Amino acid sequence: MAESTVKRRKRGMSRLERKNTLIAYSFLAPNFLGFAIFTLVPVVCAILLSFMEWNGGSISAIKWVGLDNFAEIFKVEKVAEKWAEGNYFYFFNRVDLGIALKNTVFYTVVTVPLTLVCSIALALALNKVKGAVAFRTVFFFPYVASMVAICVCWNFMLMKDGPINQMIMALGINFNKSWTADSTMAMWAIILVSVWRSMGYYMVIYLAALQGVPRELYEAATVDGANKWQQFLNVTLPQIKPTTFFCSIMLIIGCFKIYDTVAIMTEGSPGRATKMLVTYIYDVAFNQIKYGIASAISMVLLILVLIVTVIQFANEKKFANV
Amino acid sequence: MAQATVTGKQIRKDNAAMQLVGNVLLYVVLIGLAIFTLIPFVWMISSSLKLDQEVFQYSIRWIPEVCHWENYQLIWEKVPLLTYFKNTAFIAIVVTILQTLTSSFAAYAFAKLHFKGRDVLFLCYISTIAVPWQAYMLPQFIMMRSVGLYDTLWAMVALQAFSAFGVFLMRQFYQGIPTDLCEAARIDGLSEYGIWARIMPPLSKAAIATLVIFTFVGTWNDYMGPMIYLTQDANKTVQVGLRRFIQEYSSDYHLIMAASLVSLLPVSIVFLSLQKYFIEGIATSGLKG
Amino acid sequence: MLSGGDTSDIFMVKENLDVMKWAQQGFAKPLTDYIANSGFDMSGFVGMEPNYAVDDVQYALPFRSDFWVLFYNKTLFDEAGIAYPTNDMTWEQYEALANEITGKSSCKYGAHNHTWLSAVANFAVCDGVNTLLDGEYSDLQYFYELALRMEASGAIRPYTEVKAANLHYSGAFQTGDTAMMPMGYWYVATLINNRKEGLYDFDWGTTALPHKDDVPAGSSFGNLTGVMINKASQNKDLAWEYISWLCGPEGSQVTAATGNRPAWVSSEVADVLASVEGFPADENSKAALIPTQVSIEIGTHEKLAEIQTVLNEEHTMIMTGEIDVAEGIEEMNERVAEVLE
Repeated sequence: MAESTVKRRKRGMSRLERKNTLIAYSFLAPNFLGFAIFTLVPVVCAILLSFMEWNGGSISAIKWVGLDNFAEIFKVEKVAEKWAEGNYFYFFNRVDLGIALKNTVFYTVVTVPLTLVCSIALALALNKVKGAVAFRTVFFFPYVASMVAICVCWNFMLMKDGPINQMIMALGINFNKSWTADSTMAMWAIILVSVWRSMGYYMVIYLAALQGVPRELYEAATVDGANKWQQFLNVTLPQIKPTTFFCSIMLIIGCFKIYDTVAIMTEGSPGRATKMLVTYIYDVAFNQIKYGIASAISMVLLILVLIVTVIQFANEKKFANV
Repeated sequence: MAQATVTGKQIRKDNAAMQLVGNVLLYVVLIGLAIFTLIPFVWMISSSLKLDQEVFQYSIRWIPEVCHWENYQLIWEKVPLLTYFKNTAFIAIVVTILQTLTSSFAAYAFAKLHFKGRDVLFLCYISTIAVPWQAYMLPQFIMMRSVGLYDTLWAMVALQAFSAFGVFLMRQFYQGIPTDLCEAARIDGLSEYGIWARIMPPLSKAAIATLVIFTFVGTWNDYMGPMIYLTQDANKTVQVGLRRFIQEYSSDYHLIMAASLVSLLPVSIVFLSLQKYFIEGIATSGLKG
Repeated sequence: MLSGGDTSDIFMVKENLDVMKWAQQGFAKPLTDYIANSGFDMSGFVGMEPNYAVDDVQYALPFRSDFWVLFYNKTLFDEAGIAYPTNDMTWEQYEALANEITGKSSCKYGAHNHTWLSAVANFAVCDGVNTLLDGEYSDLQYFYELALRMEASGAIRPYTEVKAANLHYSGAFQTGDTAMMPMGYWYVATLINNRKEGLYDFDWGTTALPHKDDVPAGSSFGNLTGVMINKASQNKDLAWEYISWLCGPEGSQVTAATGNRPAWVSSEVADVLASVEGFPADENSKAALIPTQVSIEIGTHEKLAEIQTVLNEEHTMIMTGEIDVAEGIEEMNERVAEVLE
């Protein structure tokens, strides 16, 4: 008797479960409908496009080419040829996709931790000082101003003999080249502007997060004899883990997708020193009019980001509060 | 015993001194950083009062020789800036309201309700954030055009009001609100909708304020969307309008700076007015681990 | 707009690439029938119209031709007591002149090069033989070395400075401290207009571009701006009447009256151009209106966009000094060869 009851329950959902699921769906519906129509469908189309050839013209001109696009962007034949010759880094040094990948990954690996550290530090500092509101507004400003104005302004400041270089020289370091004209420094110019711009944004998110850490936890820690630094490590950080998860994912995705800053500040120059994945995509899609190939490059980007996201997602489940 | 008290007082004095030094250092660093952050803005203000050829003069003049205040009048005359402002305001407000409502609705489901396929669906949402907009822009464009939304302000609303970003943000914040509260409410007979409407808002004010700020700013500063979908001058937004000041054969950087500064105002107002939600530290509100 | 299904009757064509794009995508109406039926004489275009043809089918008519000339600041030359540039200078003479006038009285820079590749190295095509699409770029070496030498001697603003400051060439010339500047003819209209708005107050003139020893004086290169008819237009016949008038002998005189240089070449047009108010009143400037030979800046090609990307990338590397000229040219050759494969 007990067995059959158990068996019956396992088949299909109970009425309660079904009701809950329906309710859940009703919550999702408004957002999901708009999202599905205006975002999800185009994204799926873009995925499909990466297997097709479409160089402008009407939709009837689209044809299926399978993995050809990918073979072309990875320059499979040429890379194999060079590999056989002993030139192992040909892909990363000479092929557009390789260069873009290398630059984008470098940029991400540097910018994400820098921004996170700066924004947490700022949030902590501005949680309790006097005049916090004024400071917060100041630090949030860069995010709010128009990209054109910011990039033009920073370009000007990073010129040879500009204010930044003058400060550097004053510190005794012998460097006086226009940042955006130098293959190495152009990347750092972009990193600088990006961190400058985003730290206010993520500072705001962390501020909201810090509001939620219960004071009792800090009090308990003080009683236990923990100093400020220990409290930070053992109380604050763990408590804001979901926020850090959010911020790091958004930052990583944002860095992989960087476009505006590069397009306005350096246009990928000098040469291909600051060619990023999305500037490459933009060039292929809108200057060379090769939509299929552009989609293929986007797929590479998507897969990379997905891998990183899934890893982080798996980690998050360990700390989630649900 | 006397010795211990003296030592105790000494330690406290030392601690107080250390704290003072620490505080002063903190303020110095903050102010330094703030100045560093503000330099480009000072440059923007100074440029907005110059003539175009003076803007990039090599030796930077922070205070212009002649202050061309008329620039601030010129920007309204040279291009229909008022129309652009109206359009941008419309889009920003509608999108912010829609986004906040639908996102928090959906986020509640992801954070507090259990249903089949929850995690897979959520991963789906996040992955779309990962695809650069340039990649799916075309299919999206073709779709918008066939629905007849091309060159309308509603196109911008449709594109931005249902983003995955809002859902992601709110879900993280909701995760911090203790489930016990929701359980207790359920036992008391409150429906899920009731919980969403009554229990969540007071505890997530900072979160909602954050979403409002970000959505408003994002929409206000959006350039690519309006550039592609809005062709009629009467429909254009501020960011697109600003670009009219830079054309291939002439440029009016001084006017761009002036107009950029003016367009900063509405956003600053929104930001400042929402600040109070960040100061109220409710003991168990907002985000928790 | 075109992808949006716009039904405007005619479209201006600014880049050669657009003609190819729009022809490929089926937006442009082929004009061969109209030309044949109306007996429109294409000779006034002095051989520039093939640039708007794809596979020998004409898709657009040249409307304006903006070839390059040398602008110079008369006031600065007067102040320094140096003779003006002439219509027949070699590049060496140009370099010497720039070096001579730099630093004299209020002249800060003898010349100015804008950041575009066309402002620095495109002069190589003036010989009518080399093009930017032939995959062989050693002809550019001369000009890159010239530009970098002039930067080193202080005669022109360094590329990195101009790039970082996003300095527009009109800003550079109009500050009044630059003596000479090679630029496209379209700048004449801007100069005339800006003077009316009081943005500067010195006198200026134009001469032909300097030339290499083995290239005739008065050779230049240029670009076309064209008009095409939209296939989706409801009034194609009327559109043809309009554009054939606009680009032909009569319309070109009207264009000339606004200070813009039409593609159509004739002495009537030259007269009108010279009589526009604000146009410099000296013989040299007028003679510069009649180039002896105009090569196209960069032609059309299936892989034009990719080639341009490569050339521009290497251009920035050379001009910022990241690699030296010879290396840069080699890269151009190599990478364009890869593209053309």
